[in-house]
Amino acid sequence: MNQSNRSLIDAETSVGWHGSLELVFAQRHGATQLTRNWTQAPLKVQRSFYPEGPNVCHSIVLHTAGGIVGGDRLSLNFQLEPDAHSLITTATASKIYRSNGLEAIQDMHMQVAAGACLEWFPLETIVFNGAIYRQGLQVELALGASWLGWEIMRFGRSARGERFLQGEWRSHTEIWQQGHPLWIDRQWLKGGEEMLDSPHGLAGQPVVASLSWVGAAVAPEIVMQARSLWTSKERQGEAGVTRLISGLLCRYRGASTAEARNWFIDVWQLLRSSLLGRPICIPRVWQI
Amino acid sequence: MQNTGDESVPICDINYEGGLSLLYLLQLASPTLPVGAYSYSEGLETLVENGVIKHKSSLKHWLEQELCYGAIRLEAAVMLRAYYSAHMANAEVLRYWNHWLSAAKETEELRLQSWQMGKSLMQLMCSMPPIDMPVLSLESLAQTVGDPCNFAIAFGIAAAHGKIDAFHSLLGYLQAWATNLVTSGVKLIPLGQTSGQQLLLELQSPLVIAASEVLALRDDDLKSCGWGLALSSMTHETQYSRLFRS
Repeated sequence: MNQSNRSLIDAETSVGWHGSLELVFAQRHGATQLTRNWTQAPLKVQRSFYPEGPNVCHSIVLHTAGGIVGGDRLSLNFQLEPDAHSLITTATASKIYRSNGLEAIQDMHMQVAAGACLEWFPLETIVFNGAIYRQGLQVELALGASWLGWEIMRFGRSARGERFLQGEWRSHTEIWQQGHPLWIDRQWLKGGEEMLDSPHGLAGQPVVASLSWVGAAVAPEIVMQARSLWTSKERQGEAGVTRLISGLLCRYRGASTAEARNWFIDVWQLLRSSLLGRPICIPRVWQI
Repeated sequence: MQNTGDESVPICDINYEGGLSLLYLLQLASPTLPVGAYSYSEGLETLVENGVIKHKSSLKHWLEQELCYGAIRLEAAVMLRAYYSAHMANAEVLRYWNHWLSAAKETEELRLQSWQMGKSLMQLMCSMPPIDMPVLSLESLAQTVGDPCNFAIAFGIAAAHGKIDAFHSLLGYLQAWATNLVTSGVKLIPLGQTSGQQLLLELQSPLVIAASEVLALRDDDLKSCGWGLALSSMTHETQYSRLFRS
């Protein structure tokens, strides 16, 4: 469905989608299996597949309406039982359209049990000028659980010269373990030239991205290696790496979602090989 | 009643309590407070090195953006929550916000700065003669928070003990932060001392606005735009030649 169809529906009903998705993964005889799968349109999940063997279950989440408009409310819940390992990605870039005045909300809850590992790698999100969007991501980690995720944002359809001059974007991420917060990230961008152009904000760049690994303290050498993965190639944007209380954080600001993602894939490879002892396996849906 | 001289006002007409709390605030917000603030630039050293901040106006722009949208608002909001918790002797809430702030720091360097300054301030407070009235003694509050203790948490506890009101505590906290970064800028750019003082005067209005906005923030409103600060502080962690620890 394209944007004009959506606008028509929303004008008629003045109610947005209330989509939800609930996935539970469990480890059975060395294989991670999807044991519960409950979806409500426009969210769907494709059949699980195992491109790197039975240990790691790959899942692709689909948003069948093409994009998110004001008033939409999406809720995604992922639960990993002990020792399960899941990689979840999306089939297409997410689009958040200009708002009709209402806020669009996406709430995500991820629960990761002991020994389990969740990798959450959505493709980029394009925030159209005028969008009003709020995302909440709450991760609950058991002891010995780990979480790796990224968020890649493009503000305005910059290829056609659009800038995020109106609207508001909020993305609140919280990762907790046994009643203690390990990482709290309360990002906010108000549409307008002031925050877009200031070196304190986006410094005139349309793309920002973050990758975080949480669940175990990382050695300073890993931080240094993640930094050299950035500096070892010719790059256009800016990037940085630091240690979280129990993990690692990478930030990117630049013009290219591909540049951010390619570096993040390099860091993912580094983290998998040094912390999980296995190589990465790039989902084919990314088409890279 | 006591007269201090022919022309003087009787002491009971003077706001004695108000005078004491103002003096306490001046001492707490003073750059001479021995918590090591002068050794941190919060990413300014990198921004000056990279030519992003090169004169008074670009430093002013950066500080104004921080006050309008930046992480300092979260810091100040958490300081206020620590202040209220200390007033109400609510140990659980105090610990919650201390953990919260540690998890919300943009970078490791900024987290270590906050922990070092917080620890120094708590130690300093505990070695001062006790002030009357505290619901919980400073020692027991220090114990409650434990180590690490963020600077904003220690400042909130100190302000509550000094019987400073909430708005003035916020102003003092933000003013101390601004003074320290202006002083860093004066050294790094460099700027003349007079320019630094002019800049502090020009920041008065943004400081008052930020303090009044932070006073009204609900927990759900705690948000900031952290790209510029995160990237400059991350870069500072590996900067080759450094005068400052952040």
